[in-house]
Amino acid sequence: MSLLEARQLTMRFGGLVAVNAVDLTLEPGMIASLIGPNGAGKTTFFNMLSGLYVPSSGQLFFEDREITGTEPHQLTRYGIVRTFQNIRLFGNMTVLENVLVGRHCRMQTGLLGTLLRPPKVMAEEAAARRAAFSLLDYVGLGTERAQESAKNLPYGDQRRLEIARALASNPKVLLLDEPTAGMNPNETADLTRFIYRIRDELDLTVMLIEHDMKVVMDISDRVSVMEYGIKIAQGTPDEVRANPRVIEAYLGKDEDSPAVESPAPEPLNGRVESLKDTSTEG
Amino acid sequence: MNILKLIRSSSVLGAVGALTVLLFGGWSGAVIGWLLGTGMGYMSSQTKLIANPKTGAQIGGTAGLGLGIWLLVASLLEGLLLLPLSGRPAIPFGTALLFGLAGLGLAVLSAVLMAAFQGLANPAQKQATRLTLAFVLLIFPFADQIAQTGWIATVIQIQIFAILALGLNIPVGYAGLLDLGYAAFFAIGAYTTGMLSSAHLGIEWNFWIVIWIAAAVAAIAGIILGAPTLPLRGDYLAIVTLGFGEIIPIVFRNLTEIKITEPISSLLATLLNRPELAICLVGCTEPFNLTNGETGINPIGRPSLPIVGTFGTSPFPWYYLVLLLVVFSMFMIGRLRDSRLGRAWAAIREDELAASAMGINRVSTKLLAFAMGATFSGFAGAFYAAYITAIFPSVFDFSVSVIILCMVILGGLGNMTGVLLGCIIIMAADRLYLPKLAEVLKGILNTSVLPNISSPALRDFITTSLDPIQMRLFLFGLVLVIMMIVRPEGLVPSAQRRAELHEPDPAANDSLADVRSAG
Repeated sequence: MSLLEARQLTMRFGGLVAVNAVDLTLEPGMIASLIGPNGAGKTTFFNMLSGLYVPSSGQLFFEDREITGTEPHQLTRYGIVRTFQNIRLFGNMTVLENVLVGRHCRMQTGLLGTLLRPPKVMAEEAAARRAAFSLLDYVGLGTERAQESAKNLPYGDQRRLEIARALASNPKVLLLDEPTAGMNPNETADLTRFIYRIRDELDLTVMLIEHDMKVVMDISDRVSVMEYGIKIAQGTPDEVRANPRVIEAYLGKDEDSPAVESPAPEPLNGRVESLKDTSTEG
Repeated sequence: MNILKLIRSSSVLGAVGALTVLLFGGWSGAVIGWLLGTGMGYMSSQTKLIANPKTGAQIGGTAGLGLGIWLLVASLLEGLLLLPLSGRPAIPFGTALLFGLAGLGLAVLSAVLMAAFQGLANPAQKQATRLTLAFVLLIFPFADQIAQTGWIATVIQIQIFAILALGLNIPVGYAGLLDLGYAAFFAIGAYTTGMLSSAHLGIEWNFWIVIWIAAAVAAIAGIILGAPTLPLRGDYLAIVTLGFGEIIPIVFRNLTEIKITEPISSLLATLLNRPELAICLVGCTEPFNLTNGETGINPIGRPSLPIVGTFGTSPFPWYYLVLLLVVFSMFMIGRLRDSRLGRAWAAIREDELAASAMGINRVSTKLLAFAMGATFSGFAGAFYAAYITAIFPSVFDFSVSVIILCMVILGGLGNMTGVLLGCIIIMAADRLYLPKLAEVLKGILNTSVLPNISSPALRDFITTSLDPIQMRLFLFGLVLVIMMIVRPEGLVPSAQRRAELHEPDPAANDSLADVRSAG
């Protein structure tokens, strides 16, 4: 059974086809990666999965229920939650409040409950706080900094907080958009272990966009490759690594500087070399 | 030297107190000394660490003494110098001294008391502070009456606007939705009350019921007016709300001759050229007058209570009623802020897209912000209508929306204490100090300045140009400009706003560093 399924998913912006008829399925419990050069349409694809964009055509299914065009907050309630490539925390809210906002969709309190504050509401609020504190502990942020402004955290901790905020909504699918961007090798290794851990302990299905090939090849059960809005390959890391089309699509070309546009074509050998380098490191 | 330092340390509140005494004279020094002394006692705990009641009393005593000296000097100046200058009889030195000493004594006493309370252990400190505040607010009307300062009518007005400012703070301060047409909801609350409890439409319901209906109608209006603005942000939202603010008073101005016919039958009547076929629904015999146009609705029914009777010209019941409304609003808004909903508002304000991806329903959250903001202006409008007993469309024009917004921004967006402070400052300056200043200034000009000037042209120039009432908007604008430059986060900002406006933005630094390293 597939947990999340995209059928012929397409997104057009005017004349530009950012994502073109992509099929993709996520089975429960897997860690899937989506890779490809910059501008391949990976983040656009994520935006459709998380409801921020309504696909131009194609369909999305979650637990065999069609979710095409569902509002993002509703998808979060169903259990699809994401993080952002450029961290989007609520910077001026406290760390604790950030996690509590993530908990929002699992709380019931309505307007009347807010104003009258019956014991049930107070209990729910207290439970949410306890859950938020334990989540902060779980992601390794600790509870001492719970009252600090989120934007005052160091970069790596902001990434952790963003994941904690996402986890607070008890998701089934976690979409991570470049979770290791800007991290040093140590932090990256930590995060890789952490993703394994949450997958196993929280019964999550994880999909990530990633530029760090070491992470991708290490962690993924399955890798999908996009180029110019089209899915050009899919398979286990080893299959993908051997796929000539992927090699042609200069896989791993931007592992050093993900923000830089694709460099001028270089000899194929060089690309394969760099790909081998990353795979042997891990 | 020490005394000079003392005077300077309490310069802001001291100057306010001195200005009050200079303008109002008499026992006003005692009242303002009491009020400001209490405030000063509280504020001393914000700047200095107060370990126990004894040090608190000492710190409060010095602060109160500084304030008291300002009041004493001002009392003497006013009684002996300013009164004869403005053409009123001077008072004897002894009396002026008595006024001054009363101000000094009360300032010291109240500052000592309040600062001593700040030295108590935590729960007791909070309770004592609250009790003192409640005591001050509860006996203020009596103090005002005994001292014959005559401030209570203005204080009631201040409190009406306090409810409005607290309400506007919900969409603007908490949810980040700039609303430039907030007076529309005030108008809707007031007109609902006007229509439902006056002889105008023949519906004379009890005020205690009507005030809830007014709040509910305003809330519904908030949802209706909020709905079209949902996809809009920032500037665009502000323009649309501005439009609503303009439309509502015009609608009330023009709903005077309503005649509604059933549309299908009237279409049929025109087609067949037989006007008698049209089925008339409203205003058949004569056009229905809903709002009475420019003349407004007058008189509007007043509330009544078993023992107090019908609220009349005595300000006392009105004062306590509006005080109750302010406290009720603060209580409720505080609960809204510290809740799941309040967090959702803050998240929408911070990053709407991320909030929505984290499971917050943008539509209902924003609509609730508008609706809750409007609810409290509904309460304020209902009270206003009953208190003034007459409402006109021109009372609710754009300038009211702007003034309320200025209170929120001046005091500190998103912070209730700040918003209240902003409201008190703007309203007191506008309704109390400026008119009195104009009066005193006119007295001085007429008795001491103008008779000594021979040129009639110069005399004319001075009388017209030195009128604070004429300069009202100019002064107002000046204060806002200075404020925005010196302290953009407001007088008492919420921690979040302060962080936003004063800490260097890490993103900005990053990009700068990038540019540098690239170049």
